[in-house]
Amino acid sequence: MIIENPVPAFLDWIGKASLNWLFAVGALLIVFASAGFIFILVRSGPSQVFPIFFRSIIKGLEDLFRISFKRVGAIARLIIQESIRKKVIVVCIVFLILLMFASWFLDPESTDPARLYLSFVLSTTTYLVLLLALFLSSLSLPTDFKNKTIFTIVTKPVRASEIILGRIVGLSLIGTVILLLMAVMSYVFVSASLTHSHVVIDGEDVLPVAEAAAGTADPAAVVAKGATRLQNWHKHDIEVYGDGSIIVSQVNNHTHPIERITEGENVRYSVGREQGTVQAKVPIYGKMKFRDANEFEKSKGINVGEEWEYRSYIAGASPEAVIWSFDKINEKQFPQGLPIEMTISVFRTHKGNIEKTIMGSILIRNPQNGLSATTNVFNSEKYVTNALFIPREIEASKVAESPLFLKQQGEKATFEQQTNFPARKESYDLFKDFVVDGKVEIWLQCIDDGQYFGAAEPDLYVRAQDANVFMNFIKGYLGIWQQMIILICFGVLFSTFLSGPVAMVSTFGIMIAAFCKQLFLQVAYMQALGGGPVEAFSRLINHDNLMTEMPKNFSTSLIKFFDHIASIFLSVISLAVPSFSDYNIYMNSVAAGYDIPLNTVLVHGLTTLAIVVPLFIVAYLILRNREVAK
Amino acid sequence: MGTESNIAVPASKSEVIVETKNLTKIYRDFWGRQKVRALKALDLDIRRGEIFGLLGPNGSGKTTTIKLLLGLLFPTSGEVNIFGLPASNVAKNEKIGYLPEESYLYRFLNAEETLDFYGRLFNISGAVRRQRVAQLISMVGLESAKKRQLREYSKGMTRRIGLAQALINDPDLIFLDEPTSGLDPIGTRNMKDLILELKAQGKTVLMSSHLLADVQDVCDRIGILYQGELKELGRVEDLLKIGEETEIRVKGLSEDAKNKIAQIIKEDNSEMVFCGNPTTSLEDLFLNIIAESEARPGKRVRGGGNE
Repeated sequence: MIIENPVPAFLDWIGKASLNWLFAVGALLIVFASAGFIFILVRSGPSQVFPIFFRSIIKGLEDLFRISFKRVGAIARLIIQESIRKKVIVVCIVFLILLMFASWFLDPESTDPARLYLSFVLSTTTYLVLLLALFLSSLSLPTDFKNKTIFTIVTKPVRASEIILGRIVGLSLIGTVILLLMAVMSYVFVSASLTHSHVVIDGEDVLPVAEAAAGTADPAAVVAKGATRLQNWHKHDIEVYGDGSIIVSQVNNHTHPIERITEGENVRYSVGREQGTVQAKVPIYGKMKFRDANEFEKSKGINVGEEWEYRSYIAGASPEAVIWSFDKINEKQFPQGLPIEMTISVFRTHKGNIEKTIMGSILIRNPQNGLSATTNVFNSEKYVTNALFIPREIEASKVAESPLFLKQQGEKATFEQQTNFPARKESYDLFKDFVVDGKVEIWLQCIDDGQYFGAAEPDLYVRAQDANVFMNFIKGYLGIWQQMIILICFGVLFSTFLSGPVAMVSTFGIMIAAFCKQLFLQVAYMQALGGGPVEAFSRLINHDNLMTEMPKNFSTSLIKFFDHIASIFLSVISLAVPSFSDYNIYMNSVAAGYDIPLNTVLVHGLTTLAIVVPLFIVAYLILRNREVAK
Repeated sequence: MGTESNIAVPASKSEVIVETKNLTKIYRDFWGRQKVRALKALDLDIRRGEIFGLLGPNGSGKTTTIKLLLGLLFPTSGEVNIFGLPASNVAKNEKIGYLPEESYLYRFLNAEETLDFYGRLFNISGAVRRQRVAQLISMVGLESAKKRQLREYSKGMTRRIGLAQALINDPDLIFLDEPTSGLDPIGTRNMKDLILELKAQGKTVLMSSHLLADVQDVCDRIGILYQGELKELGRVEDLLKIGEETEIRVKGLSEDAKNKIAQIIKEDNSEMVFCGNPTTSLEDLFLNIIAESEARPGKRVRGGGNE
């Protein structure tokens, strides 16, 4: 799975993040307080300003900290009743209809149907739920203002903070219920779409191999061969061995259990349900570094000229290597050895035999004494996932005679590791000889001369015990839920001072900006190709591409000037815009069959809260300081 | 909440519970330019236990005054005190009931749910809430329609549920904005009876109306607003008394005696305005004030004042 922006580890992140947050919220409150102070100063004069100002602050704190949850509950309940009576549930029916016709749009011959179906249901749910959140949240308060029902609310002992919080809670609850309904429908849909079995008939689909008929008793020899019948646009190859074991080939990321049943003269095959379609792999990632041609440590490998700098490359038949350092590998978790999975890029400088895949090797190295062993040699194609296994017991023949060096920059030719290099043994144990305090290095090298391997940090990982698929599916919806809550808060915030349609468009704008936060930041900080909004517009109408230079004249200067002003404006807005693409990790993980780690849930959960709290406070301040009537 | 039984205390001597000082509201447009002065320097005291009527033609500032008192609008200058609290303090709402100009209620709720919802906003406990909801529904006569959504209600029914909503917390002070608007004669009569009943329970009522008969029937004191200015303030009977005129009511007076009286008046250098059966009503007073205000804009000063 491609992870361009890895989620930071919670404990490393929380300190700095909370400081940043406190700083940002503090700045926001100071801006509001100063505006309030100036307003009071103008209205009531310098003699009154301090008492009124401090009274307002105390009042405000009281409104925020003495919220009556009963009243919040009453308002939330009203919002829910409203949504039920206004038949919000229709959105679920729309979703159901979409699912019914989904197969029209989804490629039936996909080689990874699980990914296709999962990303379809997750993205459809995201858009539907976010749009629903957008409409409900931005229209809720304005409807109350328009119908003046708000008059009967604010003339009760209800604080502005309770009105805002009640709305957020009520809308979030509706959204949650709808999201859960959609999750259940999606799960049923995905399971039903993927579940299948194949028919295999002896004598028609599986035929005895000619040599085997002679009656060789070798249990490892193939005695019968064939394939299953076509189902869900694919079939599996079948090999029956002399000892009675049957291997069903893996197609579309799954295989089937199969049983050969002999009833007198007749042989029958019973094929079970698919296995391994939807997964929740638990990867343990290492830290990546590189070794260059002179055996020195580098943070990056070779650039082969790819525009996308996600992966870095190493040359074949050279000392170059990609090194992953793991630090939490223990015997208890992996008593048999280390299962690793690897998806790397292959870059060919000469065609060679195009049919032939590129050869590479996996080394395991003790980071303390430099002891290394070549545990696996493999052939790789571009972006094909290789599942490898580093066994517990490592033959002496695979272990290198001399230490494997990774020179540090500026280091002399003598190495400390050389001194404590262990004496030869007859056999080596993975945990006793290579893993030190949970730390171990896995090296990737390319064997074929003139060819290159490219890798990024998440490309190789140790695969731990899989997590529960259903729970992971639900966790995937947590990502959508968090985005929904953020959008609801923005909708409620805008609806405290804007009319319904305007609030809706503003919230929609925030949603689009949040989806394209990276581009938004580039435009805001004038780093985007094609310049700022005005320049981009002028290029658009002049049919200029992004790269042509603008003529050096007055109009260009004018355009640049306006773009600078827009840049200031946009960079301020960009501070308030959350990044929804950060939440893609939820959807991508589920679709690609990876477990969503608790760390991601914690970091994103807290980030969501960190966005939601100031939005709530600002919404409260605006509602409190505006006239309810006109 | 809770009713204090201070029924016997005459309104004029009880405590002031609503007080405005120099209350002014200027509506401005987006650019801060003055659009209209909706209320000009209003000074008003309302005492516990009285029914106070705000009277004025459409657009005279009655609703603006009520909205300012409730904190729905912020004054441009001046002060509002309700139970000694500023209008912006939500705590004052504990003892207030408000029936808006039109009943602005959630049309997707039924009568019971509506009252239950507003009851929750007062943190009234479940048992008390259920009891009060049932009691109010029967008081406004909506038992047969209590399960129907308000969108199906007629105007009169909406008005009644609106009133029930205003009374859910058993308030001490009730604001009624045009309580009889849109009601048929029977509905109007019922509403007036209800207002008098509230007074009998010791509650204070502030109502606005442009229907003079309503105000004359139920109010203890009235204030007449015209173009945002308070033109008259006082007890209804005092205001209707025409100070410089004297009315003598005699039964069976002979023509001779009438001539003699006319003679006496002539000797007194007074002028006989009318000799017949007198009728003076609030309507006359009201129309007089408006005519006068149009002739001479500005504050109209007249005896009577607050007492």
